[in-house]
Amino acid sequence: MNKKLVSPSLKRGLTFGIVMIIFVLIDLDVMVATMLSKLFGANVIRGSLPDVGFMVLFLILFGMFVGWSTSSDDAKPTTKLFQALVAGLTLGVVLGLFDLILNQLIVTGTDVRKYLAALAPESIRLFLFDQGAISPLLHLGLFTVASLLGSLMKILLKSESASRFFKGVKSGYQGLQAKAQANTPNWVKKYGKFLLFLLIGLLAFFLPRIWGSYNNYVVGLVGLYVILGIGLNIIVGLSGQLMLGFAAFFAMGAYSVALLNAPLPHGIMLGFWPSLLIGILMAVVAAVLLGLPVMGMRGDYLAIVTLGFGEIIRILLKSDLLTSFTGGPRGIQDIRGPTLFGQSFSSDIDYTYIILVVMVLSIFIYKRLERSRTGRAWLAVKEDTKVAQATGVNIMTNKLLALCLGAAFAGLAGGIFAARNQFTGPNDHQLMVSMNILSILIVGGVNSIPGIILGAFTLKGLPEILREIENYRLLVFGGLLVVMMISRPEGLWPATRPNIEKDEGNKLKEDGAPGKGGLND
Amino acid sequence: MTDPIIQVKNVSKIFGGLTAVNQVDIEVPEKYIYSIIGPNGAGKTTLFNCISGFYFPEKGEVLFYGDPIQGLSTNLVAWLGISRTYQNIRLFSNLTAVENILIGLHPNLKTNWFEAIIHTKRFQKEESGSVKEALRLLDYVGLKGYGDFLAKNLPYGLQRRLEIGRALANQPKLLLLDEPTAGMNMNETAEATHFIKRLRDELGITIILIEHDMKVVMGISDRISVLDYGTKIAEGNAAEIQANPRVIEAYLGPGGAALSEKYKKQRLSNAKSN
Amino acid sequence: MENEIRPPRRYKRSKLPKLVRWIFGLIVLSYFFWRLYTVIIVQNEYTPDIWVRLLISGLVIGGVYSLIAIGYTLVYGILRMINFAHGEVMMIGTFAGYFVFEATNAIRFTSSTGEITSLSNAQPFLSILLAFIVGMTVAATSGFLLEKIAYRPLRKAPRLIPLISAIGASIFLQNLAQLLFSPLVRDYKNPDLIARGQGWAITVAGARLTIPYTGVLTFSLSIILMFALYTMVRKSKLGKSMRAVAADKSTAALMGIDVNGVISQTFIISGMLAGAAGVMWGLHNGLVYYYVGFLPGIKAFTSAVLGGIGNIPGAMLGGMLLGMIESIGPTALGISYQLKDVLAFVILIIILIFRPSGILGEVLSEEKV
Repeated sequence: MNKKLVSPSLKRGLTFGIVMIIFVLIDLDVMVATMLSKLFGANVIRGSLPDVGFMVLFLILFGMFVGWSTSSDDAKPTTKLFQALVAGLTLGVVLGLFDLILNQLIVTGTDVRKYLAALAPESIRLFLFDQGAISPLLHLGLFTVASLLGSLMKILLKSESASRFFKGVKSGYQGLQAKAQANTPNWVKKYGKFLLFLLIGLLAFFLPRIWGSYNNYVVGLVGLYVILGIGLNIIVGLSGQLMLGFAAFFAMGAYSVALLNAPLPHGIMLGFWPSLLIGILMAVVAAVLLGLPVMGMRGDYLAIVTLGFGEIIRILLKSDLLTSFTGGPRGIQDIRGPTLFGQSFSSDIDYTYIILVVMVLSIFIYKRLERSRTGRAWLAVKEDTKVAQATGVNIMTNKLLALCLGAAFAGLAGGIFAARNQFTGPNDHQLMVSMNILSILIVGGVNSIPGIILGAFTLKGLPEILREIENYRLLVFGGLLVVMMISRPEGLWPATRPNIEKDEGNKLKEDGAPGKGGLND
Repeated sequence: MTDPIIQVKNVSKIFGGLTAVNQVDIEVPEKYIYSIIGPNGAGKTTLFNCISGFYFPEKGEVLFYGDPIQGLSTNLVAWLGISRTYQNIRLFSNLTAVENILIGLHPNLKTNWFEAIIHTKRFQKEESGSVKEALRLLDYVGLKGYGDFLAKNLPYGLQRRLEIGRALANQPKLLLLDEPTAGMNMNETAEATHFIKRLRDELGITIILIEHDMKVVMGISDRISVLDYGTKIAEGNAAEIQANPRVIEAYLGPGGAALSEKYKKQRLSNAKSN
Repeated sequence: MENEIRPPRRYKRSKLPKLVRWIFGLIVLSYFFWRLYTVIIVQNEYTPDIWVRLLISGLVIGGVYSLIAIGYTLVYGILRMINFAHGEVMMIGTFAGYFVFEATNAIRFTSSTGEITSLSNAQPFLSILLAFIVGMTVAATSGFLLEKIAYRPLRKAPRLIPLISAIGASIFLQNLAQLLFSPLVRDYKNPDLIARGQGWAITVAGARLTIPYTGVLTFSLSIILMFALYTMVRKSKLGKSMRAVAADKSTAALMGIDVNGVISQTFIISGMLAGAAGVMWGLHNGLVYYYVGFLPGIKAFTSAVLGGIGNIPGAMLGGMLLGMIESIGPTALGISYQLKDVLAFVILIIILIFRPSGILGEVLSEEKV
């Protein structure tokens, strides 16, 4: 019995030990400690190290997490504590051994930064609490106690009385909610939604004026990625074609606006709006050219072909062949922004407005497409291509249509993006951009507009706001994708299917006509 | 006899070296319930696939109202008015039942994506009309109240019905049912049999049926074909098929006919003695 | 129910889509041949030795691509998923080899002749062997862990889900390497015996050119490894179980095959091949950085698809072909060398248009209905 208990806990302790070692090797421990100290209001100057206390706090939290996750749910309290003890000890021993090496580095004064770039002596000292040779013991003790604490917390919070307490709170809350619902006056029910939209509209109008250009930048970025996400969702989420080169269409839009509306290299200066339109058109044309020959391919082949297409476009854009035409690797500078009624309309506030309006429009269009014959045909194709075709859906045209419409959104976003940055270059259209958009869909929830917005905010907005983790954000992002897929594959805000029968029934009731039965009666 | 709605003329389908369907001729007059039976692996489903456009037969013709349709892609075959169901149910499992039927309506709708975006009058009319039609069909196949369930969450029997509902949405002239009562108990089978009959009587749809349950087949078929190893070995009405020694042999193996005679006599004598 | 009586519909056949495809192919093909004709016959400015040189470099790169491509193909054949992080496994192998050479290079002693030499120069074979063993082991371990952590929990999920997880793992590993080892581009320290740029001198049509030692090593080793793998898959018990699992997981499990074990072993094998490819890449090209696996990964995946994904000889052929296309293609077609990737992808697209399952991939029959 004991062996069964010990071995998984040992493994867990070992795993977390390795995780912690990696944390130390990439200096993530110091970063987290810094974040913690900020959380507690300490004023940390960039580049300086946080207080040792916060490192201790971080390690305790880590140990508690280990203890919490090691104690199995259905075990007795004593077993839980035992598991946590084993895991904590293992963790402590692993890190203790690691500490010995680190300490040796400090003592001998070896600088390993030639190979392990992040392992600065100061960070090591901080991690060792500056205690030198006793720090292994300190860590051992700390992790063991913290792990036990975590387990204890689990025992307490998951105990019967606690769960009863939570249940009580929950039912009380639900009761309150129901009561509130019953008490809402009729006008709120009727106009509540409208009022909410009005409020959001007002906020969207006034906030960009107030909150400064950095926030405008972030909101604009998120908005652009929402538009891109909607476009890709039409291709991937609705019609089920795995597209990995979406950035190519984005590039089409961006470069169209750039080439037609910048002094160099051509100086056509067509104006923003017409060139945006041409950008959308170009993206659609690219989609048709790509789509016609490859539409019949199976999923994974399509994925690699579209990926190749994206790379082709990017490489062509920066190649010598087209340097005179596209500006080569240096890209195109000084792209002019839009004018409206003869006035320049290109401050960052204006761009926020443009993006928000376009975003709302995109959502609107998407919604209408989804609830139409075409949208349903796409969904059918995604679910089961063969059967969809045998049900009368023309696969080729519908897939191509999805590709074109998705590309149009990308072209639109690309055009705005180029004008807003006043610059576009091949590096704006890397494979990573396509992957980012795809990840937004998946993380947020395929086919779910709130999901896409949430996803865009999580993946593009949060990292912009949390500038401290700049170096780590792609790492966290990659890890997050894996964890999301394992723990919540349907996305943060999963899509729901419309309840057509219920809605229609309600409508009929409102109309006063009783729901008429069919032939059965 | 009225004009045949579908004629399968000398159709062969070969997979590698295996002739799955070998020079089969079938003619189905309008408003018939026509059954195709045969042991497992006799090529019944392959024949269905040849008719509905999934396979392109190597030899022969499939005529629908006198026009050749072999080699047309399946969506065109559906558009022409041939619907089908599948042996192992293939619904759009992550969509609701109503949506499944709405997709079935697809070939009969006309609005395109642009009209959907700007919500033209025509779109609104067609959309509300199609939803109404879908709900009516839902009711017709007995799934009222299940419309907002995801197809994959429906119980097995209802999935079969939904599949038929989806096929009906196309307003088919010809309906191909591939083992519609597979896996059903006696009551359900009886219900389904009755339902198939109603389809023909009320909607005037011609039905071709693949079925293993002889009770169903003999009960409702106007005409029956028997396939064995890809070849048609018999055709006729229920009584003719039951009496055909080749059919019995196909099912029971060589010498089966004699065996069956023996048992029949035994049964008769048993009945007399009782 | 009053079914509206609808007149029978009629349909006229059209062959347009097929025609479009063929016309498209014809145009592209004739353009290729025209370019080939102008460059080789009309302009004729390249001497044979240039072609030989390009051929050699194509073979070397092709060998590396093939090894990585086999990893993609093995995993795809068994799990039907694109192991997007495979290039990162190769990157890890490259780094492991780099550290071995750094270590062997740092150990210095006085040789019998009195010179101060490093271990890597005194015992070049040993250190190369060590680098390959370490590289392959580390890469195999990371492949194993990758599968266990990022893919195994997703065995039954829809196909997009493991792909995203793979993309996530790829990003994660890349950035982990960047944070650990800094974004610096480092130099591979080859033993002097196989120093980069050195090679056998041969004479082709009056011109001298060298066959680089690293190239010979890379090519021959990749051929040996491919041969070993092929024999293993054909003959050994593991190979047979791999093929069984690829054909049908549940039936294989019923036959008593440990499906999870086989999948793990597949990842280990493909990791080993990628690790070897990584060390070769480092030895031959001499550069190692966190991004080093990305492009070869994509290229190798392209080659796997080119040859027919899921098909091991296909992956070898595809890799070799892609290497050749990349090295000879731009010169032969008279386009800029920058566009070699474009050329590779264009050829992939064209081949897939006409053979949707790749060159050696079996043409899937109309799917079981």
